[in-house]
Amino acid sequence: MRKKPRFHSLKKLKVRQDWSRWSLYSISQLRAPNTATKTYFQQKWTAKSDTRAYHGEQIREKKWKRLFRRNLPAVVPMDHRYLARYDGSEQAAGRGAGADSNEKERTPQQTPYMQMAYYPIERRLDTAIFRALFASSVRQARQFVVHGLVRVNGKKMPYPGYMLNPGDMFQVEPSSVMFATGARKERSSTARKVAKEKAAERAKAREENPAPAHNPNQKAEIVATRAEPTPKELKEHMQSLMVDVENVLNEDVGAKDKQKFRAFRQTVRKAVSLWGKATPETVSTLDTQFTFLKDALNARRAALAPEPAEEEATPMMSPEDQKKLSDAFEKLKLEHQHISTWNKRDASAPYATPWRPRDYMTAFAFIPRYLEVNQNVCAAVYLRHPVARPGLAEVPTPFHIETGQLAFNWYLRRR
Amino acid sequence: MPPRLRSPNFPSVSSCPSVRPQSIAQPARTARDFSQSSCRQVTQRRRKFYAWLNGPGRALKQPLPGSTNYLGAYDKFGNLVRGTLPEKTPDKPKPKEGEAATQGGAEGEAAAAVEGQESADELEAAVREHEKAERASKKDSDQTLPPETLEDLRPFPLNKFFRSQPVLSEELREAIYQFVVKEGKTVPLASITFGVSNERVGAVVRLKQMEKQWIAQGKTLAMPYSKAVLEMLPTTPYVDTSLSRNAGKRPVVHEPINDLIVHPATRQQLFVPVAESRHFTREDAGKAFDNNLLPADERIPHPELVKVVRDEIAGYSNEERRSLAEQRYRKAAEEKTAAEEAKKFEELQTKRVVPQRRWDFVFQDVSVEDAGRDGRSHNGVGWRYGLPHQDRKKGQVKIPTSVEA
Repeated sequence: MRKKPRFHSLKKLKVRQDWSRWSLYSISQLRAPNTATKTYFQQKWTAKSDTRAYHGEQIREKKWKRLFRRNLPAVVPMDHRYLARYDGSEQAAGRGAGADSNEKERTPQQTPYMQMAYYPIERRLDTAIFRALFASSVRQARQFVVHGLVRVNGKKMPYPGYMLNPGDMFQVEPSSVMFATGARKERSSTARKVAKEKAAERAKAREENPAPAHNPNQKAEIVATRAEPTPKELKEHMQSLMVDVENVLNEDVGAKDKQKFRAFRQTVRKAVSLWGKATPETVSTLDTQFTFLKDALNARRAALAPEPAEEEATPMMSPEDQKKLSDAFEKLKLEHQHISTWNKRDASAPYATPWRPRDYMTAFAFIPRYLEVNQNVCAAVYLRHPVARPGLAEVPTPFHIETGQLAFNWYLRRR
Repeated sequence: MPPRLRSPNFPSVSSCPSVRPQSIAQPARTARDFSQSSCRQVTQRRRKFYAWLNGPGRALKQPLPGSTNYLGAYDKFGNLVRGTLPEKTPDKPKPKEGEAATQGGAEGEAAAAVEGQESADELEAAVREHEKAERASKKDSDQTLPPETLEDLRPFPLNKFFRSQPVLSEELREAIYQFVVKEGKTVPLASITFGVSNERVGAVVRLKQMEKQWIAQGKTLAMPYSKAVLEMLPTTPYVDTSLSRNAGKRPVVHEPINDLIVHPATRQQLFVPVAESRHFTREDAGKAFDNNLLPADERIPHPELVKVVRDEIAGYSNEERRSLAEQRYRKAAEEKTAAEEAKKFEELQTKRVVPQRRWDFVFQDVSVEDAGRDGRSHNGVGWRYGLPHQDRKKGQVKIPTSVEA
């Protein structure tokens, strides 16, 4: 049997949809198509083979041919002020193409329709996951889908070929996303040696010019100079939260709500006792948890019996104080990012910890406009189909526009 | 990678790898004599590959702190273009400033940009300008990179028609969520205020809600990932105009909100003979293409903006304009609710639901005529003689076409 060609071959450079160094190298080596010495058929063939190696390489050619559309979507940004001032008749003035004027008109930018040839593929679930930066390659995204790590609108979707509809929300398991986009765990002895050498270098550099150390005392000082709550104040805030909980518990509430509040009080108590280890992150989580519970309770109460006396029975702190506190939490959270619990060393994680992006990720990190991504929950919404607009095509393709044109012409099937 | 061995008695290697014979009679070597394979040396391609990775490609391996790091920002030798030419980079934004200024002037006097479009480039230039201003304010503390030009945002240097466009920053997302959910404003208003398209506002609110839910449930968020990714991407900052330090500033527009979809009927070129005396407007042009084609001022996502400007031109005062806009808004809302109720009523008329223990039976009126003249139309209901179902056949696609939210 014939040997399967290499996926990343240096002999035949192909750009692939992944974040590897081979892809980066082949992107850097791409050239405009050679039109001087090749026949038209040859040009189209090369363009097709190059572009197909990137766009939907995991799809069979026949399947892609059925997906192909010759009508390419485009938009024109309109100015509402212009639309209000003119009814369009000025463009038909004179001899039918607008009256002559002395000032030179700006020619509108070209709409790159030809870079949109592969737009139906961007609708596929696996490609969208890759474009949302949740996987390091389309093949990996496909694996995530097949392994049941992806949900569309909250339901498990095991088909990588699912065509997203505008408004569909897809979410990937965050741990898998962290694995896919994080640096690899170092296992080999050489890697460990390299890491050790680097650490030694860094230590040396630190000895030479000592940077401000990250000890808790100094941080407290910083916080104090910024006139924001110190850990002590945070602790007080936590205790006041407890008191609030108890107040709410004393009023009559439903048994289920009471249960929830009790569980919450337990966690607060634990956190207060473990203050030395508690991070501001946990405090802020608790805070939001409490407000969420209270909001839910209030909403239910309002629905049951709208009594004005009950409304003001659960007064919290003043809104300014709350805002200040949440700001302080935010700041402390950022400061803690490398020592706190959520990015600590963890031998069981399948990626290098503390988490950092994988090599060469930055060169490929872009999110096209037809997706809206929330990285915190690793979810994204497919807003609309990708479109071409003057000067800009939304389908990310590394090829020259002439290559795109030739590939589009190949699929028009008039060869 | 071991160092490449080259024996002095072997003549120079030809430059073209495809011409080079596959197996070369190798002279005796001191090292690795046991190998019989034809390719003993590290090939030229691989050498080039590693030379590129360790040379020009080296800068792309790690993120550039406080900036994006795309291939388009580097020259052939791997030097950061805006880093090496500090006096040349300010030239680029300057003509843009001039352009914006001339446009602003043109707005006032209503002489016109003929095609009358918001340029996406200008929007992004505005974002970069904002960043530049911000950097300038804290420049004295440390030397930072100048902001990216549009060239620097190209991940694929060969494709001039694609660039990495900014995404919403965390603060902006939070602000949109607060505006819509806490203050209870409408989505179109949020879209106009923040310069974000309607669909995106909806998506941001939906995703933020999910995030809050996760926090309330105590689930771990992918914070390190989120922080790293947002640092690598260009972002649209949030300008809180209610703060005193942002008094004179305008919110940064994220994207053009009045995108007109190119209608398939308008793709063809038409030559319509028209009398010279005729006042041939946009509406007439639409009719010439397709009788059902609405004019652009009704097909854009924010037709209300056009009406507001028309009121302004008509000479209404501020209060009058506001009341007119509110009237229109109320009327539209009423029409919408009326249509919804009518739909519900019709469903009640035609559908009958009989609830059972596990499943509900739904009865709906159907017409025999739906099957069409030859009885083969796909709108027909039920099994029809001579028209077998295809769903068990080989090659039939079973992937769902939609998932309801």
